[in-house]
Amino acid sequence: MNVLSYSINTLKGLYDISGVEVGQHFYWQVGGFQIHGQVLITSWVVIAILLGSAALAVRSPQTIPTSGQNFFEYVLEFIRDVSKTQIGEEYRPWVPFIGTMFLFIFVSNWSGALLPWKIIQLPHGELAAPTNDINTTVALALLTSVAYFYAGLTKRGLGYFGKYIQPTPILLPINILEDFTKPLSLSFRLFGNILADELVVVVLVSLVPLVVPIPVMFLGLFTSGIQALIFATLAAAYIGESMEGHH
Amino acid sequence: MKNVTDSCVFLVHWPSAGSFGFNTDILATNLINLSVVFGVLIFFGKGVCADNLLSLSDLLDNRKQRILNTIRNSEELRGKAIEQLEKARARLKKVEMEADQFRINGYSEIEREKMNLINSTYKTLEQLENYKNETINFEQQKAINEVRQQVFQQALQGALGTLNSCLNNELHLRTINANIGMFGAMNEITD
Repeated sequence: MNVLSYSINTLKGLYDISGVEVGQHFYWQVGGFQIHGQVLITSWVVIAILLGSAALAVRSPQTIPTSGQNFFEYVLEFIRDVSKTQIGEEYRPWVPFIGTMFLFIFVSNWSGALLPWKIIQLPHGELAAPTNDINTTVALALLTSVAYFYAGLTKRGLGYFGKYIQPTPILLPINILEDFTKPLSLSFRLFGNILADELVVVVLVSLVPLVVPIPVMFLGLFTSGIQALIFATLAAAYIGESMEGHH
Repeated sequence: MKNVTDSCVFLVHWPSAGSFGFNTDILATNLINLSVVFGVLIFFGKGVCADNLLSLSDLLDNRKQRILNTIRNSEELRGKAIEQLEKARARLKKVEMEADQFRINGYSEIEREKMNLINSTYKTLEQLENYKNETINFEQQKAINEVRQQVFQQALQGALGTLNSCLNNELHLRTINANIGMFGAMNEITD
């Protein structure tokens, strides 16, 4: 008993020193739900950044794009390329969806890696990238699921379900399982990567505050961008896959 | 044991100790590292060093240049197309005028031909009319002549019959005398 309480005390002491808070949330009570307030706050900041920069970029559109407009057109071209390579000919209606996914995740990840969120203290938990929270990534992944089901059903009608018994009916369980593993893998991949990035930086900062975390932060920036690209590409690939018919 | 569960609860439910505020600890908020990262990003983004491939501004400049070139090319093409259109339009106008000329010429030719044809037909018609009239006259004349000849012949035959039937000596002599007297009177008159 003594040993146990002693070890718990040491643990608490270690916890206070490290100051790494994982799983601490700033709860809001909305209706009967507990909501992670810090995620919402950072999401709103990200949304504000995106909407504000987009509004700035399209404020005075010109034929020959100047800096801001040029940059955003470049981003749009990039997203369009991604969706075109993944979805195929009928990519046009899906560009907004893929673009929203990519931009939101990308700006979220980079805001977590670049903005000094820790300046602002919350009653509980701490501000970080919205994609740092599993709820955000699961929501995004479920949106992707809904999107590819919608795409398949509108494109091919009920014939869409024919893909479950292709190439052989034996694969039916695996094909059904795939619908569950797709959002699962999407959400866990994004969540895990971003959380890991931020944790590594936080731990390194708590150990050696200066210089040493910088390469890891760059690595984090790189990974964040890659993760956003992977999420968008996979979402587009799933949509394209459910839209292409086996004739 | 109670202690353990307590601390577990403690770990799960963080006491609501803090409130909103600012963390002024520069090291804890990682400000220095963040500013370094930011600086490096901006450095590479702006492309301060000349030949780096990662530079965002170079990328954007290239894109702008490409758009400019495309616009210029298409404007050139547009100018050329407009020129060609003008040329084609001018040619069309010329051809149309020629066609009009031809049409007018053709119409007048046709009109003239028509008039000629009408005139010649009219003349032919007139000639035929004349022929007809002449033929009718001729026929009439012929018929009249025939009738006249027949009447004359009948009269002659009648006279001859009458003469043959009722010519006796006395009458013969009287007639001869009358004729001689007539001839004598005629002779006197001619003398």
